[in-house]
Order: sequence, then structure tokens, then C-alpha cells
Amino acid sequence: MTTMTAARTAARVVDAVKVYGAGDTAVRALDGVCVDFPAGRFTAIMGPSGSGKSTLMHCAAGLDTLTSGSAWIGGTDLSSLDDRRLTLLRRDRVGFVFQAFNLVPTLTVAENITLPLDLAGTRGDQEWIDALIDVVGLRDRLHHRPAELSGGQQQRVAVARAFAGRPDVVFADEPTGNLDSRSGEEVLGLLGRTVRHTARTVVMVTHDPVAAAHADEVVFLADGRLVDRMESPTPERILDRMKALEVPS
Amino acid sequence: MNASVRLSLASLRAHRRRFAGTFLAVFLGVAFLAGTLVMGDTLRASFDSLFGNATSGTDAVVRSADAITTPGEAQGVRQPVDTALVRKLEAVPGVAAAAPNIQGAGQLVGANGKPIGGQGPPTLAGNWITDPELNPYRLAEGRAPRASGEVVVNRGAAEKGGLHLGDTTTLRTPDPVRVTIVGLATFGGEDGMAQVTFTGMTRSDAEKYLTARPGQAASIQVRAAPGVSQRDLVDRLTPVLPKGVEAITGQESAQENTDAISARFLSVFTALLLVFSGVALLVATFSIHNTFAIVVAQRTRENALLRALGAARRQVAASTLAEATVVAVTASAAGLAGGIGIAAGLQALFPAIGFPFPDGNLVIGALSLLLPLAVGIVVCVASALMPAVRAGRTAPLAALRETSVDTSGASRTRAVTGAGLLALAVSLTLTGVLLSPSLWLAGCGAALALAAFVVLGPVASTTAVRLLGAPLDRLRGVTGGLARRNALRSPKRTAATASALMIGVAVVSLFTVFGASLKATMDQTVSRSFAGDVAVSTPSFGAGGSGLSPALAPAVQRLPDVETAVGLGRGVAEVDGRGRALTVTDPAALARTFDLGDVQGDLRTLGTDGIAITRKEADRQDLTLGATTRLTFTDGSTKPFTVRALYDQSELAGDYVITRAAWAPHRTQDADTLVAVTFRDGVSTADGRAAVEKVAAHYGNPDVQTRSEYAQSSAGGIDMMLTLVYALLALAVVIALLGIANTLTLAVHERTRELGLLRAVGQTRAQLRAMVRWESVLVAAFGTAGGLGLGAFLGWVLVKASDGASDSAFAFALPPARLAVVALVGLTAGALAGLRPARRAARMDVLRAIATE
Repeated sequence: MTTMTAARTAARVVDAVKVYGAGDTAVRALDGVCVDFPAGRFTAIMGPSGSGKSTLMHCAAGLDTLTSGSAWIGGTDLSSLDDRRLTLLRRDRVGFVFQAFNLVPTLTVAENITLPLDLAGTRGDQEWIDALIDVVGLRDRLHHRPAELSGGQQQRVAVARAFAGRPDVVFADEPTGNLDSRSGEEVLGLLGRTVRHTARTVVMVTHDPVAAAHADEVVFLADGRLVDRMESPTPERILDRMKALEVPS
Repeated sequence: MNASVRLSLASLRAHRRRFAGTFLAVFLGVAFLAGTLVMGDTLRASFDSLFGNATSGTDAVVRSADAITTPGEAQGVRQPVDTALVRKLEAVPGVAAAAPNIQGAGQLVGANGKPIGGQGPPTLAGNWITDPELNPYRLAEGRAPRASGEVVVNRGAAEKGGLHLGDTTTLRTPDPVRVTIVGLATFGGEDGMAQVTFTGMTRSDAEKYLTARPGQAASIQVRAAPGVSQRDLVDRLTPVLPKGVEAITGQESAQENTDAISARFLSVFTALLLVFSGVALLVATFSIHNTFAIVVAQRTRENALLRALGAARRQVAASTLAEATVVAVTASAAGLAGGIGIAAGLQALFPAIGFPFPDGNLVIGALSLLLPLAVGIVVCVASALMPAVRAGRTAPLAALRETSVDTSGASRTRAVTGAGLLALAVSLTLTGVLLSPSLWLAGCGAALALAAFVVLGPVASTTAVRLLGAPLDRLRGVTGGLARRNALRSPKRTAATASALMIGVAVVSLFTVFGASLKATMDQTVSRSFAGDVAVSTPSFGAGGSGLSPALAPAVQRLPDVETAVGLGRGVAEVDGRGRALTVTDPAALARTFDLGDVQGDLRTLGTDGIAITRKEADRQDLTLGATTRLTFTDGSTKPFTVRALYDQSELAGDYVITRAAWAPHRTQDADTLVAVTFRDGVSTADGRAAVEKVAAHYGNPDVQTRSEYAQSSAGGIDMMLTLVYALLALAVVIALLGIANTLTLAVHERTRELGLLRAVGQTRAQLRAMVRWESVLVAAFGTAGGLGLGAFLGWVLVKASDGASDSAFAFALPPARLAVVALVGLTAGALAGLRPARRAARMDVLRAIATE
């Protein structure tokens, strides 16, 4: 099964270039990156600060636009979409987990989970959502407000929301950055399990080797370029690779 | 510069946008106030100079000393003086010239057959004084009247009626007189004395049409010989005057005229405008308070840091107050300039709409400069006081918390205090209205009710928004649901924002309800006491119009279709030491056309020495049937009258009725105010009306109206007043609207991250805009609902209190259609207020929003 889905690509960028600013102060955040994120896999993007890993994620997810090159979700070229179509694409085909402030404070846990579906005006797959709620273990918290939950619980709600609409791909931006190690472990385990048990695709940006080790594969970025890919990572191997990156040869 | 001030200036520079709403609210309130004051002073001064110019040639005015003033009249009715006195005065050394001034009511009919003026300012007619120095009017074109039927008309009136030199038209005195315009005149250099119309006729015409008997004049104008001062002249004249006649200087007379205009028109006008600028500033208070409260809340972190770094409470509070002061001073100063600008604009506008306004400079007194400035600054700084104190109380370790649901404001203490206040307010008003009628008690209750609504706002907002927003979830899905919850987020803020609109809407509905009640009262009065089929009247308002010819009623009576036609004239006399309006009519016919209620005695036997009185007046003066009361007339004579009948209904018939025969010896210029007509059985209203109209056409073409038309036209002035009030209240609604927009803008700013999140997970721009707009509409709906409730209650209080405090009965009416329009305007205001914040929110960049700290 894994091999079958791995043949498809959930998201990819081709010759991605992103330049901030202009003239002398121009910064090339992405400098010709080509990378694809296979469907049904958990991929981590790693790199030192300023390596362009967040920019890569934002552009791949349709939150930001490339200066040149192209970004694809499934078979859709994001550069061909206007703001409204991009929004609808995010709503229907992409899930997000941010580092913090993931939830709308006025909505209950249950409402936060179904928010993208509600915005689309659809009911979604109730069985799937039910199963998700059990997987993230928040059945007894459904009618609570985000402010009544711990940080770890809030991130688990965000994970459930990200998967609620069965998106092509879920992007996670430092999802454990604000959590203690035990809560972080829980959230990462949750992401990994969901990918493996339900054949979903996750792309996660992180700077933490321990977090990245939960992924099936790690891609390394430095100075806006893709420098390496690593299958079946362990924290030690990642750490070694990162050290090599931070001391430019 | 001290640290607090430096901080607040820096903050103002950084957040100019946030204070735009506050600035505008103060600016508008102050501009309105300043404009009102400058306008009032300028108008007063220009009337002063107008009269001064016009009457500068008159050094003394001789007139009868006593005036009888009836309640509700500014200037009393004076007995005329004998024109034979002119000769005697001319013989006094130091007198250069003397001329009688005969004055009465005379309304011109314009080229289109419609009467000119009559909607407030007087419509005057008089003799054209041949001595140009003594005549306040100057010939601008044509010549003075020489033959009977020739007249001079002030230019403003001629222009309004489309009349030109050589035109022939009708002058209602009220007997219709055919007149030919031979001259056009100006007053003090202007086209007229404001909107007053004047027709000057030959002296013999004036005596014939405007006075009861020839040889009478309202006053005698006297000019002094060179070298004789006004005071000197008066001193020389006084010894030759008969008893009851006095001389005053020309200056005193001009002053009296200006004062009369001030009392009758300017003070009312200015007072009305001041009340509305008060309402606008009250509404502004809420907007300003809200802005500062939000800004302080948003700056909690910054203030906590300042406190941690060692800033004292006082310093933190002072920096917020300093900000408020800067905004207050700049906005008030700008408002002051704006207000003077408004006054200048109006001065330019008035002549354009046909209201002669002397050119002179704007009069800007010290009060008009200082009061608006002081009020603006005090309102703004006082509104910011509480938020500033709260800023000072920020704990140094204030948690860096996420903006979330704020439940403050719904505390039990507030609920209990509010409920207590409301209970007290209601019981006070009810006592003031029902038990012991007292406007004072009712007024206190009304003010307390307003306070109670403001205190209860945050408690009520949760329930109200939930209720009002319930349909939104179903209609607008998650967008509506989010809007509703956003409106519920901070009950205190929602309530404060809505309070501003609530006050505006409450005042609007108060006037709407009161106006409708007045109309209903008129309607009730007419349907209850007017038993006739049609009414003939000249619709007029205030001092204008000339009434109906006394010959009209007998002429109508002669029609075969008519059963009874009765004319009601108006007389004035002093009864029991007070000026009273008398109804002069045929009492027997009166009883057939009007329902006078239970009549005791016989109205047919009044004769020349009998009087009919309402039971209420009789009780007040301890008069019974057969008792005698003394009436003093304007000619100075006092006559005993026997009470021959008592009746109940006074609304149209008045409190005192005497016969025409009894009035004849004391009459001045005769006019009927109303002719009531009853048709014979079998005559249709349409036929009868056509017949009456044919007759009326020969008497200056007054309006012939059915009962319901008559009731409606009696209430015509009310609609005019309401329109003016609505126009003035629009300002308060605009300020409230600015408040809502400002609060929303700040809220959007505060929720940047959350909005970014919503956009990231798939909310479209359109959905985001709709969400912000609906929140705005919900807040407005809450304010509007509260305002309608409060306004309807206060309207009821006002009607009931007026009912208790005055003689006539007031009816209470709720106009559903008009109130629905008010509600719609409130909601539309909300939708409009949400437009800009919604656009701004939607324009936000998703990535930057997510990254916002």
C-alpha cells in the first residue's frame, strides 16, 4: 500500500525562487528549489534559521506566492489561481497546523475541528470526523473553548481540524515549538500515526531533530537551496547532518 | 518634556488611525455647538442692525401703555391710539413730523393663486407712511400708493409670489381686497424683514380694511427736529399725551422689536440646536470612552512593561490622559474652526433659499469661543478618565494573554445596580405621570431610565445579541455564527458601542412617538368635538396668515345645501386679571356644529352681556351659572358679563365664548379662524363642498376641508418640526456610526492573528467581510432595539406628563410604520459602519497576520 501511494505526489515545487525586497536589499529566500512531497508520507523540512524552510512551506501551501517557478498541490498549479481560488483550495484540499494561535477563541473544540467544512458549507464525513476525535482523544472536551485547554490539547485540536476535510496534504509549521517535550511527543506521535493508519500526507517544518525523526523522510535546506534528503531518520543522524550544515565547508 | 508626555505623543503618532474616530466625534460635536452659538449671535446682531437701519428715522413712538397678553403669545395686543393725536403732536416744539402707523394682518395671494407666507413669520399690512424718514420701508422701485387699491409690497414677498410691478392680486385682510402693485420696497436695505411680508396701502384704505373704525392707529411715529435728542423728544411729548398713552424712544422701540423676534424665534431656534448638540456630545462621550478603553486594553502588555521598568501608576495613567488631552485640544480647536465655517456657510446659504440675511460680519463672542472649546476638552478628557485609571492599575506582571472572550461587565453587582436603578426610574416616572402629575418627577425618572439602560447594557447585551443573532446562524452559516460570537466577546464594549446609537435612536423615537401622539390628539379633538361636515380655514402656522372674512360664514349659510355655517372669531380680554382668548361666534350655531359636551344653562341667551365658560375655568374662578365676572378689553373698558352657560369640551371652542354683538364695540381687525359647515340631510359631502368652495373663492380662496383633512392640516406644523428634528439628529446618528466603525476597526486590529488563521484555513475575503459587517449590524441592532424601547417609554412619559400638566387632554399613539423606518435606519447605519472595517480586514495579508505578535 505504501509503495502504491508513494508513486503519487501530494505537493511539489519546481525551480522555486522567492525574493523578498528589491535592489540592494533583495534577499533570495528560495533559490531554485525542486522538491516533491509524496502522498501518504510524513516529510519533515529542516534547516538552520534563515534557510528558507518556512518560506518553502508557505509557498507550497498557497499562503504565499513564488517569484518564479511553480508550486503544485496534486495536479493544480497554484500560480494559476487568484486569491479566491487559492482560498478555496486551502479550504478544501490543504490542512494547517501552526506553531501557536491555531484555534478561534470564540468557537468550541467541535466547531474549531469542523471550521473549514463549515466555511465550505458542507457537513463532511461524520464517521471520519468521529474517528478523528477519538484518535486525538478529545471526546470529553468537545464543548470546551480553546482557553480552557492546555497547550498540548490545543495543538491536538488543530491536528484534528487539519485532517477533518480529508485534505490532500497537511502542512505543519513547528507544531511543537510552543509545547513541553511530553505534549510535543504526543502531537508528533499523533501526526505520524494518522499518516500511517489513514494514508494521509503531512509536511512539517521544524528545527528540532527529535521532532523531525518522527517523519518518514527529512529534506534539508540551506541558504534557499535543497541540500539533502534523508530516509528513515534518527535524531542522531539528523543532528550530525545539521551540524555539518551550520559549519559551511 | 516629561516621560509621560513623550510616551503619549509617540503613541499618538504611531496610532493616528485609532484616534481618527475620537477626533471626528469631538470635532462634529464641537463644530455643531460652536456653529449654533455663532449663528445665534450673528442672527441677533443682524436683526439689531436691520431694525436700527430701518427705524433710524423714527425718534419716538407713541402708543397705548397697556397690552393684554394671552398665554403662549410673546407680544400682547395693544389698544389703538386716536389718529387725531397726530395734529396735537405735530404742534409740540421739537417735532419735525408725526405719522400714524396703522397695522394689521394682510396676506397676499401670489400669481399662482396660493397665499404667500403664513408658515411662521407674520404677514403684515399697513398704511404706507409718506414721510420717508418715518417709514421703515424704502421704495426700491415704482412709486408710493396714491389711489385706493394701490399698494407697495416688500420685494421679498413679491419675488416669492411671482408678483411684479403693475400686477393685480388679492390681499386677504381677511376680506379680499383687489390690489394693484405700484411699488416694491426694501426694509433696512434688505428685501424684507426676514420672512415677514408687508403690504403698504393708502392711509384711507388701511383705515377701511385694517381697523374697526377710521381714526385709529396702532401707534404714531414721531421724528425730532434737528438738535432734539430722542430722550428730549419723549420728554416733550409726554405732557400732551392723554391718559393711557405713552411715548418711548425710537431706540427702545427697535430694541423691543428685536427682543420680540429673539423671544419668539431666535431663542427657541438656538435652544433647540443646543439641545441637539448636547445629544451629539453625549453620544460622542460613549464613542470616545470606548476608543480609549480599547486602546488601553490593547496596550496592556506595553503598560505592564512600563510598570515593570519602574513607571508609577500615576505616570502610566497620565500618559493616557495626556493622549486624550492632545486629541481633545486639537479636535476641539478644529471643531471650533469648523463651527465658524458652518455659520459662514449658512450665512451664504440663507439668501440662496430666500431668507434675507444681512451681509454683516459673523459675530463671534467670547462665549461662542470658550464654551465649545471647554465642552469639547472636558467631554473628551472626562471620557478617557476611567480608561486612564485602569491603565495605571495594570499589574507589572500582566499575563501576556491571547485575546479571547472577556466576560467582564456581566457581573452580578452591575445587574443588581442596574435593575435597582431601572426600578427606581420606572416608579419615579409612574408616580410623576399617574399619581401626582409632575413634569419634574417624570423628567428625573426619564434621566434615571437612561442611566439604567447604560448600566444594564453589558448585562443585557449578551442575551440581546444571542437573541437578535439567532437567525444569523441559520441564514448565514458559520459566517453569521462567528459574527454573533464576536459581538458577544466583550459585553462591555458591545454595550458601550451600542449605547451611543441607543441614545440617538431613543431621542429620534421619542420625538417620533411624541409627534404621532400630538397628531392623534388633534385627530381625536376634531373627531370628538367637530360635528360639522367641512371646515373652511386658512392653514397657517405661528403668527402668519390673516384668517377668514367674517362675511364668509353668513354667505355660506345662505347656500341651499347648508344647514348651519358658523364662524369662530378670536377676541382678547383680561378675565380675572389674566389675558384670555375669547371665542367670538354665534353660540347657538356653535352648539349645533361642535360637541360641547354637557351644556348647563342656555347658549341662545348670551346676548350682549352674557358669557359661556368651560366648567373647568368656572370652577377655577368659583363662578356658577348666573354669577358675574368682569372682562377688561384692549380699548381699556371693563364690562360685567353674566355666566349664562357652562360646557365641558374646550378643545376647538375655547374656554370663553361671547356673541359677536358683545364683541363688536371692542373689536379690532375682524377675522374668523374657522368656519364650520354642516350640510342639510341628503346633501353629499362632495356636492356640499363644491358649493362652499364656490362661495369661498370670492373671499380670498381659503381651503375647504373635510373633517379628516382638517384634522391632518391642523397637524401639518408637527411634521415640519419632526423633519427639522430628524435632520438635526442625523448628526448624533453619524457620531454613533463613527463609534461603531472605530470600535470595529480596533477589534479587527486586535484579532489580526485570528483573522489570519481564518483566512489560512479557507475563509474567503467575501466571508470575512460579511462576518465583520454582520457583527456591526448586530451591535447596531442591539443599540436600535434598546433605543426604540427607551424612546417609546420616554415618549409615553412625555405625553402622559404633558397630559397631566396641561388643560387639554393628550392622546398617546405609537406609529408602527415610522418606528419601523427608525429601526431600519439604525440597522442600515450598522451595515454602513461595518463597511470600512470589513474592507480593511479583508485586505489584510494572510502571512503577515499569522506572523503578527
